[in-house]
Amino acid sequence: MIIPVRCFTCGKVVGDKWEEFNSRVREGEDAGRVLDDLGLTRYCCRRMLLSHVEIIDELMKFYETGKRKPVRPP
Amino acid sequence: MKIKILHKNDVSLRLLIKGTNSAFMNTLRRIVLSEVPSMAIDDIVIIENSSPIRDEFLAHRIGLIPLTTDLDTYNLPEDCTCKSEFGCNLCSVSLALEVEAEDHRITVYSGDFKSENPSIVPVNLKIPITKLAPEQRIRLEAYARLGKGKGHARWQPVSVCAYKYVPTISVNQEVCNSCGDCVKICPKNILIKTGNIIEVRNINDCTLCRDCVKACQKDPKAIAVTWDESSFILNIESTGGLAPERILYAALNLLNDKLNEFLSKSREGN
Ligand code: SF4
Ligand code: SF4
Ligand SMILES: [Zn+2]
Ligand SMILES: [Zn+2]
Repeated sequence: MIIPVRCFTCGKVVGDKWEEFNSRVREGEDAGRVLDDLGLTRYCCRRMLLSHVEIIDELMKFYETGKRKPVRPP
Repeated sequence: MKIKILHKNDVSLRLLIKGTNSAFMNTLRRIVLSEVPSMAIDDIVIIENSSPIRDEFLAHRIGLIPLTTDLDTYNLPEDCTCKSEFGCNLCSVSLALEVEAEDHRITVYSGDFKSENPSIVPVNLKIPITKLAPEQRIRLEAYARLGKGKGHARWQPVSVCAYKYVPTISVNQEVCNSCGDCVKICPKNILIKTGNIIEVRNINDCTLCRDCVKACQKDPKAIAVTWDESSFILNIESTGGLAPERILYAALNLLNDKLNEFLSKSREGN
């Protein structure tokens, strides 16, 4: 759905690296090289970014076209 | 016991430790993983959340954000003098998050938290927490406390704390025909062929996988991978809340306290 905060296996923070990874790979850089640059050396952390699909971006469209989601009473 | 620092930076530490045994190393490792306290968000009051992410999911993500930790000022909630469920300013820090998307989609980051104590803040400021569509809003208050890894993984001060034996690789030049099979298979590029000789470099990176031995066609094998059971390479990678050497000192102090307690309790029992 949205990039996990940490690696499921070792617990290293990977969330803050997603945006840079995504934009650089989209610009055509080699994913392995970007992961090296980001300091993700273990394969558990590397798969977190490599296999991630940011589905929340698709979901957001429903909120943007529809009306506002009712606010929860305080 | 001899200790040499192989590598050190803000978040990771690699030590070569000679003259000890795996019982001690494992004690140290387990104390680092499950007993050294660190700061993490533990309680959260959601006032408003109209984001596409559910409250529980949001709370879980927020809990996993590593916070800078101050072990000298803060007490563990169970040891604090306040004895209060709600905590006091010696055992709890409140952080507020208040973000609203106006006319376009935004991402809420860990850096948007406003902490009541400027020295207890998220380590990484760019962790996405959620995204907000126009007019969506998040308002919440979070309470961070010290805790231990054995309570929940978010309180573990490290992402990695592991050790391995120090490897030794020997090539029997009389049997070896320098075919290079071992050089090709090594995942860490430890072995290199110079002329007819197989040389070893950066031996501390060897993972002891012994693929090189399996790949050698010679019988008896021309290459042998062994290790010294009294020497270790310890690798600590902090999540950023505490410096790796501070984690190690804290672990040693905890071990010391445990042993002292054991000693005094066993004397009492006598
Ligand atoms: S044991 Fe594994 S890592 Fe070490 S030299 Fe042999 S193949 Fe390389
Ligand atoms: S695989 Fe065996 S024989 Fe071939 S170079 Fe390595 S040690 Fe020598
Ligand atoms: Zn990992
Ligand atoms: Zn207190």
